[in-house]
Formats: sequence, structure tokens, C-alpha cells
Amino acid sequence: MTELPGQTATPTDANGQDAGDQDASSSSLGTESGIDLDDALIRVEGLRFTRGEREIFSGIELKVPRGKITAIMGPSGTGKTTLLKLIGGQLTPSAGRVEIAGQHVHGLSRRELFRMRRRMGMLFQSGALFSDLSVFENVAFPLRVHTDLPDAMIRDIVLIKLESVGLRGARELMPAELSGGMTRRVALARAIALDPDLIMYDEPFAGQDPISMGVLVNLIRRLNDALDMTALVVSHDIKETLTIADYVYVIADGKVMAQGTPAELNADADPRVAQFIHGKPDGPVPFHYPAPDFEGDILDGRESSAESSGRRQSS
Amino acid sequence: MSALNRGLLGSITSLGRSSIEVIAAVGRAGILLVQAGIGIPSREGIGLWVRQMHFVGVLSLAIVLVSGLFIGMVLALQGYTILVGFGAEEALGQMVSLSLLRELAPVVAALLFAGRAGSALTAEIGLMKATEQLTSMEMIGVDPLKRIVAPRLWAGFVSLPLLTIGFSVVGIWGGKLVGVDWLGIYEGAYWSSMQSNVDFIGDVMNGVVKSLVFGLVVSWIAVFQGYDLIPTSEGISRATTRTVVYSSLAVLGLDFVLTAVMFGDIG
Repeated sequence: MTELPGQTATPTDANGQDAGDQDASSSSLGTESGIDLDDALIRVEGLRFTRGEREIFSGIELKVPRGKITAIMGPSGTGKTTLLKLIGGQLTPSAGRVEIAGQHVHGLSRRELFRMRRRMGMLFQSGALFSDLSVFENVAFPLRVHTDLPDAMIRDIVLIKLESVGLRGARELMPAELSGGMTRRVALARAIALDPDLIMYDEPFAGQDPISMGVLVNLIRRLNDALDMTALVVSHDIKETLTIADYVYVIADGKVMAQGTPAELNADADPRVAQFIHGKPDGPVPFHYPAPDFEGDILDGRESSAESSGRRQSS
Repeated sequence: MSALNRGLLGSITSLGRSSIEVIAAVGRAGILLVQAGIGIPSREGIGLWVRQMHFVGVLSLAIVLVSGLFIGMVLALQGYTILVGFGAEEALGQMVSLSLLRELAPVVAALLFAGRAGSALTAEIGLMKATEQLTSMEMIGVDPLKRIVAPRLWAGFVSLPLLTIGFSVVGIWGGKLVGVDWLGIYEGAYWSSMQSNVDFIGDVMNGVVKSLVFGLVVSWIAVFQGYDLIPTSEGISRATTRTVVYSSLAVLGLDFVLTAVMFGDIG
């Protein structure tokens, strides 16, 4: 496998120690050590997005370098999946601009948007396989709808893709007969069926057992190297993601909190970044959802229930 | 501000919000109809439509035909008890056929269709949305409005008139079973009263036009409710219920309007 920039110092070494400690001399955040951010396939500029009255993003800026694996990380609820949907044109931002290969995603017509998506693949958290189609037909689906290839050739391509995810033998199964890990691997085979330029992974490791997780980690890295795709991984599984990512963005509070290679992030002194990257439960990122004072909340509740029971008794 | 004023303001706000939501939903439904319904179907699209004709139309056949049979039989029985009092029982064929062709077949078939096929369409599309199948289709570069919604919409639009014709035919035959074979009306009178009093354009085609309108409206409501629902189990449940309720009300309301337009000058 090709050794890529940022991988020279993996997040954990063989003894499970933080590689960041060993690589404290790495360059500061946001630098481009080996990663050419000017050669970006995706450019996000000043992206704002509001859901109801809550502002999810308040000016996100990021560039996804071509041919690399870029990870977007952040605590749960920061809008990582929403960001993928904005990049894929499924949601429209309230302000800002998303460009993929120079095309302004939200300026495209519906037809143009669907045409652009043929060059993209996406792996959903749930797999999102078509439940009425077999594994074979799920992988064949993009080929059947977007190409005029003869059936024999489609069969060969599907078997190659299924072989690459280790599920050639499961081609006759229906999605309901697959385990969670197998579902995601089939979905991965479907996502790469048309050899896309860009593939987006939405929480690829969530809810996977250690074996499936290891398989997926290897697959994502291997596929990227073999097919020379640009990959965008959204995840909060720090260890696995830092193992395969070439460049990482950490988002929090609607903005990019930090960015850099895995080694740079591991060495980052910012307490918020350190809390997230090293998985510390205590730190500047609060554990509690914003709420009124706990003691006052408990006492107010008692008073109001006492009042209401008093009213019931008097009536 | 007094509690009364606050309550009044709250009610007005709530009314305004509901009105905006209804108008927005009608707008979204209109956009869905235009984007899904308009376009030249591909060969694959025709295949998908035929498949949906089976699910939406053929599988609704049993409930529609059995209902048609019983409604025709009941009509004949009720009609006979009234007509025999005037010595006009030979007009039973006319009564049964006009009742079925003009009103009962289009309306009852549409109500049954909403319950059997409409709710299934909503639940199917809703579940596809909840399991991200629609989203993944979009990301593959396939428009779910064309691939999922359009074949179902057109299948409903085409199959309901055919089901309505089947309903009428079986109902008229059920009327003959009761009127002729059971109650003993002269068979020639049953058929000839129908032949001389039923107008092909005025009665048969008007019934078909009604069923075309009902087919479009019920299918439109069903696919929109499925496509627009909140993708949770509760959302699917509510949307399925809404499909049946809205479709039934729309069919009954539109039936009055269409009847007034088609037959309003008779009396």
C-alpha cells in the first residue's frame, strides 16, 4: 500500500500509545504538510445552514483535496451528516457556496444535479440498500440505469465489485438476510459500481463489531488507493478515522474548530481539540445539553407539583 | 397583556401557522405532481408502470369486484321493494345500472381503492424514505420522483377507471342475479330497460370521467403523503391514516361537484 502523507504517524502505535506524543514536533494546524489544498475537488465557502431557529453551521470553510481521504469529525449532533447532505445537494444552505469540481452544487438544475451525482458515490450509515432487490441487483442498479452495457458485462462488473468487498458469494441474498457489516459492504460495492470520482462515507464505522470495523477500515483505504478516488469520511470514531485519513477537519459549534493531518491534530494543544481527539469526558466541550440550574429545576418542580396538588385538594 | 388577549393572540398565531403549513403542503404537492407526472416515459419506465399496475390494480381487483357484486345485489333488492309498489319492477335494470354507472361504482371503487391501494402506496414510499432508500437513489443520480413516484401515480390513474368498469359490470350482473333469478323479473325487461335508458356518453363515459378524476386525486394524495412524511414509525402511521381520510373526503366532495356539472341540469 502506498504510504500517504499524514500516515507516517498513525494515531496509535503497536502498543496503543498516542502517536501524537511521539510526533509533537509536527507542524501547526492548518498547514498543508504533503496535502495540496489548492487542488481541491470540493470547496465549501462561508456555508451557513439553519434548521428551525437553530443555526447548525455559521460559516464553514473547507477544501477536500483531490485523490485523498478527508475526514470530517466532531461530536455527535454537530451536523456532520447535514454537511454531507449539503455537499451532495440534498439540502440547500441559507448562505455560502459548495463547489464540486468547479460546479456550484446549489446553482445546478435538478437534472444537472442528478447528472453530477453519477460521478459521486455515497455510503449511508444504514446502508440504504433497496429492500426489494437482491445483493446482485443492488450493485447492478447504478449500472443498469446509467449505462447501456450488456447484461454479461454488468454481471462481470458486479462480481468484481462484490469480490472487492468479499461478498461475491452473497450475491443471491436479499438485504434482509445480511448482517449490519455485510449491508454496509454491499452498499460500498454499490457506491463504487460506476467508479466515481468522489465517494462520501456517512459514519461508516458506527455500530460495527471489531471485525467488521477492521474490514471496513481496510476496504476504504484499499479502494481509495486502487481507484484513486477522493473520499470524504464523516465519523466520530476517532481511532479508525485517523488511521485512514490523509486530512482531517474537526467541526464544532457550527464552524471548523481545527484542521490538519492526523499527526498535526494529535499534537494540537487546543484543549477542545485535545478533548475530542483523545476522547476525554471532561473538558471545554460540555457533557450536558444547555439547561437551567439543576437544583432550581428540581425545587421548582416540587413547588409547582405541591401547588397543583393543593389546588386539587381545595377543589 | 391580559390572559384573554394572550389566548386570542395565541389562537390567531396558531391559525396563521396552520394556514401557512397547509398552503406550503399544497405547493409541495403541486410541485411533486408536475415533476413526477410530466415527462416522456422511457422503456424502463413503462416496465415499472406495468409492475405497479399489478400491485395497485390487479391486487385490488378482488375487493372491488366482490364489493361490486354485493352492492349490485343490494340495489336490486332495495329497488325491487320500492318499484313493485308502483308496478314498475321492470325498470329495475335501469335503476341498478344508472345508480352504479353514475354514482356508486366510481365513488365506492375510489373509496375502496384509497383504503386498499392508497394506504399501501403511502406506507411503501414512506418506509423507503425512512430507510434512506429514496435518498440513496438520489445520490446514485436517479430521481425518485421519476422512478418511484411516477409509475405509482400513473398506475393509480389508469387502474381505478378499469376497476370502476369492473365494479359496474359485476354490480349489474349481481342485480340481475337478485332481480331476475331470485325475484323473478322478466329477463328481457331487465336488459331492455337498461338498453333504452342508459346513454353511453351521458352515463357510462361520465362515470369513467369521474373515476379518472378520483384515480388521479387518490393516487396523488397517496404518493404525496408517502413522499412528504416525517420518516419515523409514527410519521408513517399518521401519513397512512391521512391518505385514507383525505382521499375519502376528496372523493366525496369532488363527486358532488362533478355530479352538479355533469347532471345538474337534469331536474
